[in-house]
Amino acid sequence: MGMMQRILWNNRREFLEGLLVTAQISLIAIAVAMVGGLVICLLRMYCRPLRWLATLYIEFCRSTPIYVQLMWVNYVWPELFGWPQSFFAAGWAALALQSSGYLAETFRSGIEGIARGQREAALSTGLTPFLTMRWVILPQAVLMMTPSLMNQFLVVVKSSCLVSVIAVPDLMYRALRLTSIWFEPIEILSFTAFLYVAIVFVLSAAIKWYSDRLRSRYA
Amino acid sequence: MIGEWMQAVTGSLFWEYRSILLFGLATNFSVFFLSAVLAVGMGLVACLARLSPLPSLRWCGAFYAELFRNTPEYVLLVWVHFVPPLLLTVLLHTRVNFSPLFSAVVALGLASSGYFTETFRAGILSIPRGHVEAARSTGLSGVLTLRWVILPQAVRKMLPEALNQFISLLKSTTLVSLIAVPDLMYQVAMITQEQMRPMPLYSGAAIIYFVIILTLSALVRKISEGWRAVGRV
Repeated sequence: MGMMQRILWNNRREFLEGLLVTAQISLIAIAVAMVGGLVICLLRMYCRPLRWLATLYIEFCRSTPIYVQLMWVNYVWPELFGWPQSFFAAGWAALALQSSGYLAETFRSGIEGIARGQREAALSTGLTPFLTMRWVILPQAVLMMTPSLMNQFLVVVKSSCLVSVIAVPDLMYRALRLTSIWFEPIEILSFTAFLYVAIVFVLSAAIKWYSDRLRSRYA
Repeated sequence: MIGEWMQAVTGSLFWEYRSILLFGLATNFSVFFLSAVLAVGMGLVACLARLSPLPSLRWCGAFYAELFRNTPEYVLLVWVHFVPPLLLTVLLHTRVNFSPLFSAVVALGLASSGYFTETFRAGILSIPRGHVEAARSTGLSGVLTLRWVILPQAVRKMLPEALNQFISLLKSTTLVSLIAVPDLMYQVAMITQEQMRPMPLYSGAAIIYFVIILTLSALVRKISEGWRAVGRV
């Protein structure tokens, strides 16, 4: 027990810094994924010539394992597009790529879920298509999509431990490095697993609570 | 630029190594089948525990499901591969090692069983209580009620969700390369080291997984629709 406390406590900075990187990369990834997902969703719904491309993109993001995407972004994109040049950027780009496909579908079902009559009514009162989107469709759609959006964030947090594979110094990376330094996998890896479980559990409980509250208030 | 793009999609390097890559893909599928068996088995056990009349058993089942649903698969994979063998070594005073394949199957099976627990539970709970009471009052025994009344309806309800879980599990099998199980991604990494040409290899791997999983999801969608149509009596 004393041993365990010493290793974990003496390296608390490592764990904290790792957690910070995990939080950073997850937040960047979900923010980029939201923007990307929205663009792709709008392309798919309202831009006929590019619909097939958007559909292919969505299917690709949803049907390829996240680890494969991470490797692909990390090794192939720099040669193909000249970007990303850092592991951190490759990490969030891959996480965002995966989520943007799922979010595009979430957004689409949210927008399509709004009854057609609402759109027609808004247009016939003289609102432009843009204003209809801004003031009639989006406010309702956002309310409906919020729970799935937050769940996607949870998925990002869970997948983010994979970026340790490409040497992004997140929580998992630090844990593996500490293990190879101290050679105490039992303490270090168990504590890390506990941290991940606790974070994901707390986040998912919070999401469930918030979604229930939204539903009881507005639905 | 165009040359690089072409290189990304041409399959010559892939064709050269086709046998080793196919073997990798076969490894993906064997890990998938073994861990699917474990996941369904443990999922059923935990689901029965969650539905049992004993509060302590119910609590254990809920804890089990929550634990494995909330652990990232990669973290669980690494943990299973390194920690239990050491603990067993300390306990049994003999050196214990898990083979990568064994760790992979256990970790992915457990991770996935948490989701199966919830899927099975939702399926069974969706059967109205009245059906059970009606079946029992016509004289069917408990086992017969389960076999002829509950299961046929519950399976139909949970099949689409369960099939989606299987697809997620198949996607997760790509992680096992990280503990040196020789799956497709592992072989790709090895060939990349030899050839120093990551672009065609990783693009090829992504396309292969894309095609396989897209085909399977389309199949699942078709099957689910068929089942739903049958269920609508």
